[in-house]
Amino acid sequence: MSALLGAWRNQPVLLVLALLWVGLISAIALFQPHILNVYTFTGILQFASILALVSLGQSLVILAGGAGIDLSVGGNVSLTAVLTMMALVAGLDAGWMPLLCVAIGAGLGLTNGILVTRLGFYPLIVTLGTFYIYSGVALALTGGSAISGVPTWSLTWGRGSWGVIPLPFLTLVLPAFIMAAIILSLTSWGRWIYAMGYNERSARLVGIPVDRVRILLYTLGGALSGLAALVSLAWLGSARPNIGVNLELESLTAAMLGGIAIFGGRGHVFGVFAAVILLVTLKTAMLQMGFNTVLQVGVVGLLLILVLLADRLSQHRG
Amino acid sequence: MALVTARNVTKRFGALTALQGVDLDIRKGEVLALLGDNGAGKSTFIKILAGAHSQSEGELRIEGRPVSFSSPRDAAEAGVATIYQELALSENLSIAENVFLGREITRRVLGVPFLRSRAMRERVAELLEELDAHISDPAAPVGSLSGGQRQAVAICRALNLNAKLVIMDEPTAALAVAETRKVLALTRRLAERGCAVLLISHNISDVFEVADRIVVFRRGRKIAERERRATDPEEIVSFITGAHPDVRALEQANL
Repeated sequence: MSALLGAWRNQPVLLVLALLWVGLISAIALFQPHILNVYTFTGILQFASILALVSLGQSLVILAGGAGIDLSVGGNVSLTAVLTMMALVAGLDAGWMPLLCVAIGAGLGLTNGILVTRLGFYPLIVTLGTFYIYSGVALALTGGSAISGVPTWSLTWGRGSWGVIPLPFLTLVLPAFIMAAIILSLTSWGRWIYAMGYNERSARLVGIPVDRVRILLYTLGGALSGLAALVSLAWLGSARPNIGVNLELESLTAAMLGGIAIFGGRGHVFGVFAAVILLVTLKTAMLQMGFNTVLQVGVVGLLLILVLLADRLSQHRG
Repeated sequence: MALVTARNVTKRFGALTALQGVDLDIRKGEVLALLGDNGAGKSTFIKILAGAHSQSEGELRIEGRPVSFSSPRDAAEAGVATIYQELALSENLSIAENVFLGREITRRVLGVPFLRSRAMRERVAELLEELDAHISDPAAPVGSLSGGQRQAVAICRALNLNAKLVIMDEPTAALAVAETRKVLALTRRLAERGCAVLLISHNISDVFEVADRIVVFRRGRKIAERERRATDPEEIVSFITGAHPDVRALEQANL
């Protein structure tokens, strides 16, 4: 009990998410026991991979403050997938696919970073603009239809699993979160991100290269969207111009649910990871139980408010 | 020899002259108080020393070498640390992390700068001990500290940068009486360690308690420079307000 109380004080978000998840699993066990099997588990991780990568990038951008937010992540994923496949169709060697995804994603992220830091535009507006541009271009280039022709070796990776864990999850999502957690908590770069996220003026006064760090984080966020595009290609076998739809809202929800403060400087990526798993589990369960999609969105909203409430309560105590 | 020598330092913002031909020496081991009414040019002067502005005319020397700062970082490299009124601390980080922020002790592994947290905490514990700051835990978050304790953290930061000149901008402005005492004691201790301290304050009694010398700015000019022992609060106030006969004469002459 005292361990629980301690956890509540230190990581209220993580505890609430874990409890909700246990509750959710219990509910599934009670009402839909037949879906509680390893295939569902594997499926959840498979579905979670894209959202997890995008949410990680989103969280880093928000954490660094300056009203940081990236609404263009969904457009980035769609456009990166489309451009990469167009390059392969045009004759580029298929071995370049992973690198190309990362490079295009990073380039689109860098564009956001430059617009925000060098031109001083408000991140919400900039990334709303690039969201329309990226997703619009993806649609225009394809006329709305998917581009097939993803190399088969990548499908082996994209659809394969090691035991019950999907390979993209094992080889991209886990390493990305572990590296982000290490960098944020154990390196000076992490201290700089938290410092500038909380109090940008003082971070500048002590000589932290705030603009450079911020550009880098938008770029990194873009690269993570690029990786998500790679996962989508290798999983679905084609580039779909609408693959990124709603990712901006879902990644924002995951970041907020996971305890990343919207004003920056507070939160951990573990929480974001837990939030992604919870969100995808919830969506999968509701899908299986036959809830309609409108209700699903409502439940996610309710969840968000519930977790924010728990966070607020724990702060009042501390 | 003076640590800092300013000669004919002038700063213009367009048609406005914020600082006009200031000559000033700051010596090692002294607390020099800079007084003046709002708009007297105090802030402009310390911003030039801190590298936030560059002067339009005039020369700055530190230990005899001419310097020209184009950023606060340049000033920090030259040994000038500024403790701003708002302190520039990150409340979400610990005391030790704040003291080292931007200049962490790290061990590079594959080019990634991993923090050496224990080394930093130990160094900060030493500094706090030396300052007699009555803060026991360098790992505590700055958000939990009182105003005076935050000043102590900011002073630690300056010491840790091996600052030769520490500029303190209104360090006691927002503090209660007991806290003010402590910060003034810290200021003295900084000077005893051999730092030059430039103290900006509106509080005459604080200044008379802690300063060795007092300089008064008025309308962008240095109008008075006194050893503390050779003056009294009334004379200093009359310089600040412009009621002193010397100031009147000077201002008549400049009209």
